Amino acid sequence: MVRLVFLGKFGDLAPAGLERVALPQEVKTLADLKSWIARTEPGLGQAMEKTPTRLVLNQCVAQDLSRPVSDGDEIAFLPPMSGG
Amino acid sequence: MTVRLALESFDPQEETARFAAGREDAGALVSFVGLCRAETAGASVDELRIDHYPGFTEKEIGRLTEETSRRFDCPDLLVVHRVGRIKPGEAIVLVAALSVHRANAFEAVRVLMDYLKTDAPLWKRETGPAGARWIEPRAEDHIRRRLAEKDTA
Repeated sequence: MVRLVFLGKFGDLAPAGLERVALPQEVKTLADLKSWIARTEPGLGQAMEKTPTRLVLNQCVAQDLSRPVSDGDEIAFLPPMSGG
Repeated sequence: MTVRLALESFDPQEETARFAAGREDAGALVSFVGLCRAETAGASVDELRIDHYPGFTEKEIGRLTEETSRRFDCPDLLVVHRVGRIKPGEAIVLVAALSVHRANAFEAVRVLMDYLKTDAPLWKRETGPAGARWIEPRAEDHIRRRLAEKDTA
């Protein structure tokens, strides 16, 4: 199981069941995970396509989407930030 | 250096006074307070909600604050940022700097605010009569952020 966190507007589009999911066999990397989400939840996938999306793996920014994901990981999807 | 996320409304004057109390070594105290407006681009705002990513948000704001502190040789910085539901008139953010001289303190506060606008893991959602909308940084915020990268005191 992995924990998925959808922040900001992505949170409005992600169904509650997507917070904790069993990794499908074909998902080995962050890029695979992003593609799997786009197939499973097209609305969310399109929103992540349209806007710059940062991924955070276990609380660290992940620029390299070829990084592997495994059971127990927490992956967050961040739309553009708006602090201040 | 102090970074705090506030779940409830806070008093910027009280926070600033506590931050500067007893600091006779400092010759300058500069502070900026960002407030929740009742109107944005002609549309009225009933409420602002700021979401955060617990743990990561605090860590990232801490990193931005440390970077600013090093760049401007300004070790004493304070950031208090609201999260959750905010009403018009309430403070959203307080950034304050204590320094020997004013130039570093002014620059540190200005640049840290520019960083927070685009790089702090926070997400603003405005609700008004027309419904809710997520706020994203404006083109101007990105320009200021790029310029801030180059600035030195």
